[in-house]
Amino acid sequence: MPDADPDEPEDSLPGDAPSPDPDRRGVHETYDRIADHFARTRAHPWPEVREFCETADRCGTALDLACGNGRHAELLAAPAERVVGLDASRKLLRVAHERAVERGYADSLSLVAGDAARLPLAADSVELGVYVAALHHLPTRETRRASLDDLARVLAPGGRVLVSVWAVTHSKFDRESGFDTTVDWTLPGGETVGRFYHVYDLAEFEADLRASTLTLETVYESEGNCYAVVGGA
Amino acid sequence: MNESLMDILCCPLDKQDLELEVVRRDDDEVLDGRLVCTECGEEYPIEEGIPNLLPPDMREGAPA
Repeated sequence: MPDADPDEPEDSLPGDAPSPDPDRRGVHETYDRIADHFARTRAHPWPEVREFCETADRCGTALDLACGNGRHAELLAAPAERVVGLDASRKLLRVAHERAVERGYADSLSLVAGDAARLPLAADSVELGVYVAALHHLPTRETRRASLDDLARVLAPGGRVLVSVWAVTHSKFDRESGFDTTVDWTLPGGETVGRFYHVYDLAEFEADLRASTLTLETVYESEGNCYAVVGGA
Repeated sequence: MNESLMDILCCPLDKQDLELEVVRRDDDEVLDGRLVCTECGEEYPIEEGIPNLLPPDMREGAPA
């Protein structure tokens, strides 16, 4: 729920962009460009993620998939011995490392540059995870489903992950069915940088989860985001 | 990159094991080196302690 971050600026929305960029390098190159500013405005973990992590059982390895500046990796470090923070933006990973050093959880955080749709992690290696506000950046349904299937592969038996995406009911959109768009990020100097989004409606989100090899524990909508708790294959 | 991470890392393309080649280390931390897939031979750099396991088509300099 982006609105829960008091210091988070409003992203500007130019409306429906007709030509989402299908290039797999596009979104992470954008995040490399906006990394410092983006990280400064993403200081607070989301309450839904906090609750999920705080009620999790102790475990060996947790995964913050598309970790950004690592604000949720910090929460995973409480129940988990080791947290893997994976992101496509190497610049954001460096910010995540600095943040972990400053806040004292660097020893349990391992950072890896990787693609959320082609995970460089072994089968059954992850017991707990969060995949927050990132699946919606993958440019095709095929890629998004591949990412969910690959997540199922790396989850150990009994492992659980909280997945979230932006919902069409978000005040920014106020629509009924899912659509592709480009949302601009405005840098401090006024320059804007576009990011691809597929904004989900809840039924579509549930359908994609059910079509994947994940097992679906629960799916719901809260404050303009769709959430699901999922398990492995 | 802590060397213990090798127990869960794999090649993003074929999910096979990786072999670690260390160039520079500080105790258990690998600062520079590379990871090579034991099956397909694809090489992934470790830069400033962070393994770059992005598939080749998502790396800097890859054709768009």
